[in-house]
Formats: sequence, structure tokens, C-alpha cells
Amino acid sequence: MSRVLMSGVLIVGGGIAGVSTAAALRAGGFDGDVTLVDEGEFPYDRPPLSKEYLAGARDVKQLALQPPEWYDEQRIQLINRTRATALHGAEGAVELDSGAVLRADRVVLATGGHAARPPIPGADNDRVHVLRTLADADRLRAALNPGARVLVVGAGLIGAETASTMTGLGCEVVIADPEARPLEPVLGPEFAAWLHGQHAVRGIETVQQTITSFGKQPNGIRAYFGGGRAPEDFDAVLLGVGMVPRVELAKSAGLVVERGIVVDARHASSHPNVLVVGDPARMRVSGVLHPSAEHWDAAQVDGARAAAAILGTAPPPASAPWFWTDRHGRHIEAVGRLAEAERAVLRGAFADPSFSMFGLVGDHVVAAASVDEPNAVRTARRLIDRRIPVDASRLADTGTNLRTLLRG
Amino acid sequence: MSEGIRVARLEEIPEGEGIAIDKAVTGTADNVALLRDTDGSVWALDDTCTHEDASLADGFVEDGYVECPLHASRFCLKNGEVQGLPATRGTCAHRVEVRDGEVYLYPNTSGGGA
Repeated sequence: MSRVLMSGVLIVGGGIAGVSTAAALRAGGFDGDVTLVDEGEFPYDRPPLSKEYLAGARDVKQLALQPPEWYDEQRIQLINRTRATALHGAEGAVELDSGAVLRADRVVLATGGHAARPPIPGADNDRVHVLRTLADADRLRAALNPGARVLVVGAGLIGAETASTMTGLGCEVVIADPEARPLEPVLGPEFAAWLHGQHAVRGIETVQQTITSFGKQPNGIRAYFGGGRAPEDFDAVLLGVGMVPRVELAKSAGLVVERGIVVDARHASSHPNVLVVGDPARMRVSGVLHPSAEHWDAAQVDGARAAAAILGTAPPPASAPWFWTDRHGRHIEAVGRLAEAERAVLRGAFADPSFSMFGLVGDHVVAAASVDEPNAVRTARRLIDRRIPVDASRLADTGTNLRTLLRG
Repeated sequence: MSEGIRVARLEEIPEGEGIAIDKAVTGTADNVALLRDTDGSVWALDDTCTHEDASLADGFVEDGYVECPLHASRFCLKNGEVQGLPATRGTCAHRVEVRDGEVYLYPNTSGGGA
């Protein structure tokens, strides 16, 4: 069985990057066929999996990236519950596990990644969880009974958000991370230390250690720590230690893969008809290979950029990397990398209900982070993108309406 | 209601920003965000983002769109259409007129999102 798509685009993967590519193609006036192949029941949004969905505050239908009728309205053929098994770049052909072969002028790989499972001895245990997919979230949720003792390995975004949700569900949570100040490269030492310290305020024990192995127990799992710390027993373990990009299809087509699929500034892989967006895409610009951003907004922007490349239109203007995260009832946003700043300016105080920090090089903002005042980071993002110089004392003054700084 | 509801003085809304008008004043289902674009024009949308509980009046208003202050979905000032996830539904747009420095609102009672 095969079919021919005339002037069509075939997108493999229905996460934020894939769905954004499809949406941007139509928004840009693309009139050919758009086909989206996805393994799940329907394309869904991942950020709630560690928060509202895990907490039971949002149901599965509310995770849909687009309402069901959207695909018809936008003339996007959604092929769900289907996995792509091979890619032939020269023919633009993708083999599916259903046996069908689809052909298209352009193939967009939006295959995402899977949760990293480091080779810790004993980690192949039913009580060890990861969190990337809806199925992962459902399996984890079933283990989070009130009073359950849970070890979270890794205090990055997934680990911290999930620990916060678990505490809300009545679990007793321990977080282990070898870093004293997780997220320090993005948030800088002061902000990162404050943020990590919020776990202890909420009754979560933070352990600055690695995990060397796990052991089976009759009614639990035993975690062995590095540094000679005594082992402890838990009901469940969550590994929140990063993402491994899915590159099997790219490899099957002989594309250049270097811990991610290498693409140019227009998202083209080493085969010009195969584009890559989202977590698996590593952009090489002027000979420099950049890491994947691994953030929701970056994946969405990738979709818009890839669509522009296919349409032959100007890409959306570049913008400084931005993300949000929610934990312990606080909304945190960050743009740029505070660790790269010459100096940091605090607006408000760490004890305030809301505050923000700006990183400067000379009189230019290069990064910012905020707690419960996202407009500080939104202002910073615009200051960075437009290269508007600022007076640091005005940034620090909570009496300044930050938006006036955008007027120069 | 042919003259609309006087809801604000134009000078109360800085360019690039918005203010929220309580639904008790507007008689609408949701509060109404009065949004002033960077070109000085004034627009009105339902205030609550269609994604989660955030006030669009707190968002950045630029170049024909308002950006939600929580997760940065953008809504068209003219018709409420959504441009960019995570919101998937447009919001209700209302007609406004500015006369003698006063902003008048003509609530859209159809309640439809774009």
C-alpha cells in the first residue's frame, strides 16, 4: 500500500514542534497536503503532565494541543496510533508500522525524545519511573498514594515540578541531585540557590548526592547514595535526569547525527528534503554545533521556522530563549542565561511575594528570571531582542514601570 | 445602548498596555480588557485567557496582538483570534469607540470566540 502526496509535507511526531509546524504551514498559506503521523491517541501538551494532570486537576481531554475538529478545519490529515519505522530521504518516503508507505515532497522529523534512563544498577525495577509521556504520567500517578515515600532523582525542571505536585498529593518527597544549585547556568548562583531552597521550605528533603544503585525490597525499593550516605527505602522513584533525542529514523536514512540530528539555520538536515524540529534538532551555524534548547517555546518557534523554510518566506525574528516553570504555587520565568552576565540586579527581595533578577553585560540586559511577575521577564526578552540599553538603577527600582524602559 | 458604555478615559490606558473593566460595569460574561496598541488605537477583548486563569489586560500589547502574561499565547486585537499555543480557542472581541477622549464599549452579546 502506498500513496503519493502532491506538493505535500509529512510531519512525523505530534508534539508541540510537529503540531506547530502544521499550524504554521497553514497560517502561512501552504495549500498542499499536510499529514501528521503520531504514536498517541491524539497530539497532547506535555507541560501539564508534571503539574495539573498529575495532580488530577486536569483530565486527559484538556491536554489536547488542538481540539479534534481543528485537524479537519485546517485540512491536516492526522494518522494517530501509528509509528514511523523507516525513512528514505531521497524519495521522501516514510514507512509506517501499519505497513503503509507515505511519500511527500518534504518530511519534517518532530520525533521528540524519550526520558533518559541512566545505567544505574537496579534501575530496571517497576518502582522506578520516568515522566515524558501520558502513559508515564498515568503509571506514576498510580504510585502516588498519600503518605507514599518518593525519591526524585534530579532537581531540574521535571524533577522539581513533579516533587512539588507529589507534596500536594500528600507524599513524602526526597530530592537527590549532585548539584548544590540546580539550574545555575540559566538562573545564576543566587536565584538558583533560592529556588532550590524552596523545596526545604515546603517540607521536601534535598540531598546533594548521586544515586549509585537501587535494590529490591519486599514492599519498596532501596536507594544507595554516593558519598557514603546511608541507604534509604522508598515506595517509588522518579528519574528526572534529562532527555535523549529520538534519532532512529534519521539514522535509518543516513542523516548526520551527533547527539541530535544536525540541521542548518533553515532546519534542513543533511538531506535537504528532510527538516528537523524540536528536541532532536541540533543547529549548526557558521560551523558551531548548538545544543537543542529542550524547551516548549523553542519547539514551537522551530515549527514556525521550519514552515517558513518550506514556504520560502522570511523566518520569524529570532528571540532570546525563554521558558516558564511552576512549582510550590509560584510561577517562574527565565530568559537568556544569568550565569553569563557580568552582574546581576535584583528587583525586590527574595522574601517578597514576587521579584525578579536581571543579568547585565555593560548596560545591556542579557538574561532575567522572575517569580510571580512574568512581565519582568517579558520586558527583559524585548530589551534583549531589541538591544535597548538600560539604566540598572531603574531596573532595580520597583517603582519603575518596566515597560517604559522599552521606549528607551 | 446605541451610545455604548463609557468605560474609561483614553489617557488612563498607556500605549502598549491594557486595563480590565469589571463585568459588573460591562454586563458581559467576563471582565473586558481594554487594550491600547503601540499605534495608540484601542481594542476590547474578554479579559480571561482561554487557556488558563490570566488577565489579558496585564499582557503586552503590540502590533495588533496582546500576549498573555502567563504562557504567552497571542490574541488578535481586532477579532480575538488566537495565534500561537498553548491557547487553542480565540476570545470574544468587543467594539469600542473613542469620542472626546472617552472610551465607549459596545459589548458583543453573541459571546462567540473567533
